[in-house]
Amino acid sequence: MNSAIDSFVLKGGHVLDAEQGIDKVADVHVAGGKIQHVGSREVAPGATIIDVSGRYVSAGWVDIHVHAYGTLGFANPDLVGVYQGVTSFVDAGGPGIGVLDQFMELLGHLETSLYAGAFIRPMGLLGLNFIEGNVRTLGEVPITRWIDFAKQNRDMLRYIKCNAMGDYGPGTLKLTKGLAEILDLPLYMHIGEFQMQNPEHLLAPEAFRIAEAGDMITHLYHGNLGQVIDDDGKVLQVVRDAERRGVLFDLGFGGYNFSWTVAEKAFAQGLIPHTISSDLQQFNVVRPVKSLANVMSAMLHLGLTLPQVVERVTGKAAKAIRMTDRAGSLKPGQPADITVFRVNSGEYEISDCYTQTRKAEKEIEPLITFKNGKRFDVNMSMGQDESNWFLQIAEEHVPDRAARLSERQRGFLSALAGRLSSTSWETSSAERLDIEKALELQEMFHEERSSHDLPLKDALNAVYASFLDQSFTMQIGLLLVRLEQPFAIGRLREVSSKRPLAA
Amino acid sequence: MLNTDGSLAQNGQNVAEASQMTEQPWQPLSGLRADNTKYPARASLEGEGIVIFKTKTGYRGVQRQCPHMQATMLNAELTANDTMVRCPLHVFTFKLSDGKGVNCPGFKVKVYEVKEEEGKFFGRLAN
Repeated sequence: MNSAIDSFVLKGGHVLDAEQGIDKVADVHVAGGKIQHVGSREVAPGATIIDVSGRYVSAGWVDIHVHAYGTLGFANPDLVGVYQGVTSFVDAGGPGIGVLDQFMELLGHLETSLYAGAFIRPMGLLGLNFIEGNVRTLGEVPITRWIDFAKQNRDMLRYIKCNAMGDYGPGTLKLTKGLAEILDLPLYMHIGEFQMQNPEHLLAPEAFRIAEAGDMITHLYHGNLGQVIDDDGKVLQVVRDAERRGVLFDLGFGGYNFSWTVAEKAFAQGLIPHTISSDLQQFNVVRPVKSLANVMSAMLHLGLTLPQVVERVTGKAAKAIRMTDRAGSLKPGQPADITVFRVNSGEYEISDCYTQTRKAEKEIEPLITFKNGKRFDVNMSMGQDESNWFLQIAEEHVPDRAARLSERQRGFLSALAGRLSSTSWETSSAERLDIEKALELQEMFHEERSSHDLPLKDALNAVYASFLDQSFTMQIGLLLVRLEQPFAIGRLREVSSKRPLAA
Repeated sequence: MLNTDGSLAQNGQNVAEASQMTEQPWQPLSGLRADNTKYPARASLEGEGIVIFKTKTGYRGVQRQCPHMQATMLNAELTANDTMVRCPLHVFTFKLSDGKGVNCPGFKVKVYEVKEEEGKFFGRLAN
């Protein structure tokens, strides 16, 4: 149950707030969606008292690396957000400049604050095994497009992401670094070769060389090619040099990016992530990531203290994405973004992304989240429910929600079907995806919706409702190019020709 | 490895070729005993390792490794009323009817028809 409480006091909890140097039992006073005070004070008349004795209280957790949008995203990202103790998160590369408009339309309604770690390539991350090999798409985006977007949507952008992997050379990293400098945003780089790749020249060391103070490198403890340790297990000098320069290291657990062996060796030499992030996506929420809380438990087991773990999802995370004006601390005047949690004792198995598991004696369990003072009781299992992550095209039936589309939306779909018939595409294989075609199909979508004077959101929802039972969101060009053309056109025609349900 | 155009090298041609074959004759399955009760189970068909699932409607075979990261399909589970099989590693899910990836377009597994006759198992490629 959710409820908006105007004025309340969290009483008797152990407050952890490194930004204020608080690590003790204290009350947290909230009114009007803001933190009023931490400590003893007379309770305001009419304020509700919530007993949290025996629990910990921290600023709302900030996950700087999730995949909420696109081919890796969730039907309802809040289920891995406020319902799992997380009050703000950043989509790490889901949208690029070509789809940031779509990203904003669809995710503005979330309870959890969602920001973009925009990807250097225009379509954003493609997901699965698809690697965008054609560097031309990088050059086909005028820099003015980025600058104009950043001017109008400064708040949405938290970093610019690129992937330091593959055989493309360091040019993409340098280009991304340049763009990040122009936009005055941190650079955020993925390290670790992806799945089956085996490039001749590893880009991970190059990432550590290019990064400057405040830039971030994620997947610190991954176990693929391009690790932070050498064959003897020693932390690389290039990593040490970057750390000395003020480069920030992010955990980014993910489905492929955390190895107990690497973590233990690096941790023993004092190499510790500055921020703890989950890299949650539809392909790792069941296992091994599960939740940010599970990743925090892994770090606790690795040897970080509880305050160190909590600081890395609050104050340090907010600083890394330059968001201390609204997150990361329980300072008076801050939005009342709060996570109440406990640390359970017992025997818990925590798996890495490979075959290793560790038996942990402690587990961090979020219980209540407050977002701007609004309460959400944590439910860890909803995020793992199949309906939240199993992105399945409704091949054999038209989704029910298609019956609720308006006449205008149907007219648009009919025109889109006609337009898509004027080109041709072939369904992608496991390794190849025709990115230029995806961009072309997206352009057609925009031209048709524009000529039908249909708001972007309505046009997107019309297409999604034609193919998806759940409310997944995806780059429209990617969605279309992944469908078989005759099926896609046939379905759009079928939906557009049906009469809407009577109001 | 990457091709010169920057794309990844192909490793799924065998699947594409398989889909163009005509109906195969039934072949005896080896390695699976008639009194086997534990499924999924290993078997082999003409020397090729496959994994046999027991569904609500009968038996079905699937190639032994997930095409994503080569995890064993012995740990895969049946889902969607026994019409799909899901690799536990990254929840890549495939239709047992035609082997197509459901949440992973472009990915495909070989699927096999399997029947039991007088205590012996037979199989043939279904896609």
